[in-house]
Amino acid sequence: MKTDPHKAPQGESIGTTIVLTMVMAVTTVVMFSQGKMPQDPKELIALALTILFANTIFFLLIYTGRTDRYRAIYFSTFAVALVISFISHMFEVRGSMSLSEAKVFQCEVPFCHLVIPMTLVPVALTKTIIFPGSLIGGYASIASMFVIWIGATLAFGRGFCSWGCFYGGLDDGFSRVLKRPVIKNINPKWIYLPFAVLLFVVLTAAAYLSPVYCSWLCPFKAVTEFKAVTSTTVLIQTIIFVSLFIGLVIVLPILTKKRTQCAFFCPFGAMQSVTNKINAFDVRIDKEKCLKCKRCIQVCPTLSMNEESLEQGRTRITCMKCGKCIDNCPKGAIGYHIKGTDIPGKRNVYRLLFLFSAFLFLAIFSSHIIEDGIMRILKLITTGSMI
Amino acid sequence: MKGFFLGLSNGATCVAYCTPVLIPYMLGEGKNIARNYIALTQFLLGRLAGYLVFAFIAWLINLSILDRLGSKGFLIGVLYIVFSCLLMIYAFFRTDVPCAAQSIDRIARKIKVPLLIPTLAGLLSGIALCPPFLLAMTGAAAEGNLSYSLFFFFMFFIGTSIFFIPIPFVGALRRIQALQIIGKMASGIVGLYYLYAGIIAVIEGVRGI
Repeated sequence: MKTDPHKAPQGESIGTTIVLTMVMAVTTVVMFSQGKMPQDPKELIALALTILFANTIFFLLIYTGRTDRYRAIYFSTFAVALVISFISHMFEVRGSMSLSEAKVFQCEVPFCHLVIPMTLVPVALTKTIIFPGSLIGGYASIASMFVIWIGATLAFGRGFCSWGCFYGGLDDGFSRVLKRPVIKNINPKWIYLPFAVLLFVVLTAAAYLSPVYCSWLCPFKAVTEFKAVTSTTVLIQTIIFVSLFIGLVIVLPILTKKRTQCAFFCPFGAMQSVTNKINAFDVRIDKEKCLKCKRCIQVCPTLSMNEESLEQGRTRITCMKCGKCIDNCPKGAIGYHIKGTDIPGKRNVYRLLFLFSAFLFLAIFSSHIIEDGIMRILKLITTGSMI
Repeated sequence: MKGFFLGLSNGATCVAYCTPVLIPYMLGEGKNIARNYIALTQFLLGRLAGYLVFAFIAWLINLSILDRLGSKGFLIGVLYIVFSCLLMIYAFFRTDVPCAAQSIDRIARKIKVPLLIPTLAGLLSGIALCPPFLLAMTGAAAEGNLSYSLFFFFMFFIGTSIFFIPIPFVGALRRIQALQIIGKMASGIVGLYYLYAGIIAVIEGVRGI
């Protein structure tokens, strides 16, 4: 398809969209089913719905030219499905969401990507993984998460936070509840807080050989698993993470329309920001077309655009490549870009390359979780229980 | 030389306990490598003073201090709290370095923070923070001789200090302005963490008395 660099990015033609969706459909069918069709009708329905959902979203992404709108639907569904699937699984194998000391000693704690920053220094210095998880096998193994993280980081940098993180969809979803923000003026220096939290958790994890963020700060324990309250310390930890969840993942995103947990607290996000420097894709602004209306600054959910970056024609290091600024630019001056190429260049091609790879990663990474989430809901409808 | 080798063998742990304090402080100050070495020297001198004080105490009361772990927990808890206050004052009340907590500017101007923050931090960390330090105390107290005790702690200090040499190189990053803000914020978080640790240690110390 020929692209006019001076026109706002539009969706692709119906023909191109169908061809691309067909490719995506074949890939997702093979990857989601892993070459075999389930025998259980509920599993079959869940698989079919997951494939249909993923490909419908991909079709809309390509055909309408809207990135963030449809990405957010899939991304938030992923997060909700994770909560449903994970909690059901915990009840199935443990009888509750709480984690006993015995499970910690048996190294049966599922590993998640948020632990990665804390594990790197102790691994380098002591050859020890300071997390009571399973290296291979189990519900979420350390090795598999590391492989996924390295691949996604090289491909998308901090794009992982909008196209891969299974928690990010929660505050992303809540940030869309209100039409207008109640709290408008946020001090831009708050974007440095995740880096300070990162520094703190990396240094203290190295000092105490313990995943400090998981023990004390991770708000997502509220919707996954947490230590059984057996002491004052655990009680204090519980109060802290529940408060952080309510504050950073629910209340503040609603009031500010920003992804407050991801933008102002998450140490993993801070680490991913640094990796934005080493991957092929970024978001760039065509300065000739830019009206300086500052709509992009207003809507960015992570404060990754400011007047200085606008002047430079690029986003700040913390950009999650969510596409919200691209969707909201009235002149279509913002777009995905491949480093080292011209601006605006073949912007529709850059967009397609980014979207195809990012969405394929998101779809494959989320497939089992969404499928399991749908199956649990079907179980609930038919049997009255998710387990 | 026993103290020196004990210091050498535990230096990595010592430095791991002190970096959450030192690195945010040095980043927050945004000084060059040479000035960071001056800050490190101040910190280490403070730490040495802390060690020698304990060497004296170790000699004075021999091992009896180890029998009263409850009261020791209380003392360490109080020191943690003082230490955390120091870090939080540094993080939130110094106005000559950029900081997110601009709303407390007025209070900050009224408070003259001592220039010897690294020395004081070193002194308090020398007394309270480091677990290998307990090993050294046991080693020194076992002899019951003042000059041996002081020498033992001095050598332990030399052995551990070698591991601190690379830290001031964070000054190479001083051109990145944002790191000053990040360093100060991290100091505040570390301060909050030690405040909690101090309160818990005091509560447990009171229970143990």
